[in-house]
Amino acid sequence: MSDPARPAWSSQFAADALRELPAIGPLGKITRAWAWGGAPPAAGQGVRVAVIDSGIEADHPAVGGRVRGGVIVEYDARTKTQVRFVEDKQPRDMFGHGTACAGIIHSLAPQAELYSVRVLGKDLTGKALQFAGGLRWAIENQMHVINLSLSTSRPEFFGLFHALADEAYFKNVLLVSAVNNIPAPSYPSLYSSVISVAAHEGHDPFTYYYNPEPPVEFGAPGIDVSVAWLNKSTIVSTGNSFAAPHMTGIAALIRGKHPELTPFQVKTVLFACAANTHSTRSRRAGQSRM
Amino acid sequence: MGNPASRAQEGAWAEQLQRLLLAIEASGRAILPSSNDELLQTIVEAAARLFGAAAASIALVNEKQQTLDFKVSTGIGREQVVGMRIPLDQGIAGYVAMTGQPMAISNVQQDPRFVQETAEKTGYVPRSILAMPLLSNDRVIGVIEVLDKINAPSFGMQDMELLGIFARQAAIAIHSSQQYERLGEVLLHGLQDLVNTEGGPEIKEALDRLAERPGEDDRAADLMALADLFKSIYELGEAERKAGLRILAALADYTRSRPRYA
Repeated sequence: MSDPARPAWSSQFAADALRELPAIGPLGKITRAWAWGGAPPAAGQGVRVAVIDSGIEADHPAVGGRVRGGVIVEYDARTKTQVRFVEDKQPRDMFGHGTACAGIIHSLAPQAELYSVRVLGKDLTGKALQFAGGLRWAIENQMHVINLSLSTSRPEFFGLFHALADEAYFKNVLLVSAVNNIPAPSYPSLYSSVISVAAHEGHDPFTYYYNPEPPVEFGAPGIDVSVAWLNKSTIVSTGNSFAAPHMTGIAALIRGKHPELTPFQVKTVLFACAANTHSTRSRRAGQSRM
Repeated sequence: MGNPASRAQEGAWAEQLQRLLLAIEASGRAILPSSNDELLQTIVEAAARLFGAAAASIALVNEKQQTLDFKVSTGIGREQVVGMRIPLDQGIAGYVAMTGQPMAISNVQQDPRFVQETAEKTGYVPRSILAMPLLSNDRVIGVIEVLDKINAPSFGMQDMELLGIFARQAAIAIHSSQQYERLGEVLLHGLQDLVNTEGGPEIKEALDRLAERPGEDDRAADLMALADLFKSIYELGEAERKAGLRILAALADYTRSRPRYA
C-alpha cells in the first residue's frame, strides 16, 4: 500500500519517516476526548466555516444542507481593491473542487455552518486579487475557520497575504491552508500563524500527524480520497487540497466545543492530539476518533 | 522612384532585419510557427511514455479568447482532441489553469457527466487524469494532461511531483519557443512592410544577395545583441510586445514617408 517514493512535501508523514514527538507536562494531558470527544461528541455546532474555492454546490448531499451563505468575488479594475462582492444566495460550484472540500469538512463536523466564497471567475485576470478579496471577506464576516485549498506562489503577493493572515490571527479567525502540490513556495501556507497541511497516505479521517519542521506542519488524508463533485456526483481525487479540509473539519470540532480557544491555542491542541505525539508518560494517540 | 541615397538606407535596414533573422536561425533558435507545435508534440509524447499514460495532451491558454486551446495530443482520441477549445471556467483543465494547481482524479467513468462535453467531442472518457499547469514566471501558459495510467488505477502523488518537474522544463521550452515565434512574426512583418515600399524590388535584390552570403559581416554580434533586446522586450509582456510592433511599424512608415527626389 505504501509507495517507497514519495514527494518531498509529504515525505515527513511517511510511516518510516514519522517522528514521535513528546508532549511535555500539561500538554500531554490534552486528549482527543477532551478536544472534540464527549457524549455526544462535538459536531461543530455554531462554528462558521468558509471555503474559499470554486464555490459550493449547496444542494449536494455531501454538504447535508449546511451551506448558510455565499459570496462571489469578482475582479473589477475600477474599484480601489480591484474586486467586488456579489451575494451568492444559492451557491453553485464552477468546477467541483470547492464542493469536494466542503463535503470533507461536513463529514467531520456535520453541524458546522458552511459558507461558499467563490474566487474563481471566467478568466485569469486578477485571480490572486479575487483570492485575497475572498480571504478578506471571510475575515470581516467573522468566520471561525477558513479553508484555503488554494494558494499563490507569486512573490508580489507575499505581503498582501501575510497582512491578511496576521489580521485573521488577531481577529480570532483560524486559517487552514493546503501546501502547493508542486515544489514551489505557496502563500499563505508558509506563514507561521496558519495551519499548513499536506497529504499522507492513510485514509482514516481523524488520523493526522504533526511535523515541527517547515514547510508544512500537518499531514492529513489526501491520496485517493472519495470526494463530492459537480451535479451531486462523487469522484476519487488526490492532492494536498483534500488534506486541508480534514484539518479544517477537526479544527471546527475543537472550536465548537471550546469556543474560548484562540488560533494559536487550537494549533497547540492539534499538536497535542496528533497521532505521532505522545505524552511524556508514554500515552500514544490512537488511530481513531478517540 | 526613390533616390539612390534613400534606397541605400532602406536597403541597410532591410539588410539588418534579414541578418537578424538569419542570425537567429543560425543560432538554432526556433522562430518558425511549425517549430512550436513540433516542440509540443515531442513534450506530449515524452510525457505519455514517462508517466505510463495511454494518452496525453497539451492545451495552451488563449488570453484573447480566455480559452484553453488543445494544441497537441498523443494516444487515444488524438484527432478529436487537437483543435478543441474549452472555456477557462470549465473542467479539470480549466480549474488547473485557473488556480495554477495540479489535480489528479480517478474513477471518472463512475460519473462521466463531469467530463461530458469533452467526452462527447472525443468519444473517449478516461478512467484517470493527472493535469498539471505549465507555469512560466508564475504565470499559467497552459495545461499538460496525462490520461489513463497503464498498470495502475490512478496517478499518485509521486507522479504529481515528477510531472510538476517535467512541466516546469516543458514550460520553459514552450515559453521561449513562443517568444521567438512572436519575435520572428514581428520581424517578418516589418520586413514585409519594407519590401512593399517603393524600393521593394531593390530591397528584395539586396536580401537575395545577402541570403547567398550570410554571416560575412562582423556586425553579426550586434545583430544578435539586438535579437536579445527584442527577446527581453517581448518577455516583459503584451503591452511591451505591442510597443515593439508599433516602433517597427513607425520605422517602416518613416522610411516610406520621407521626401523623395525625382
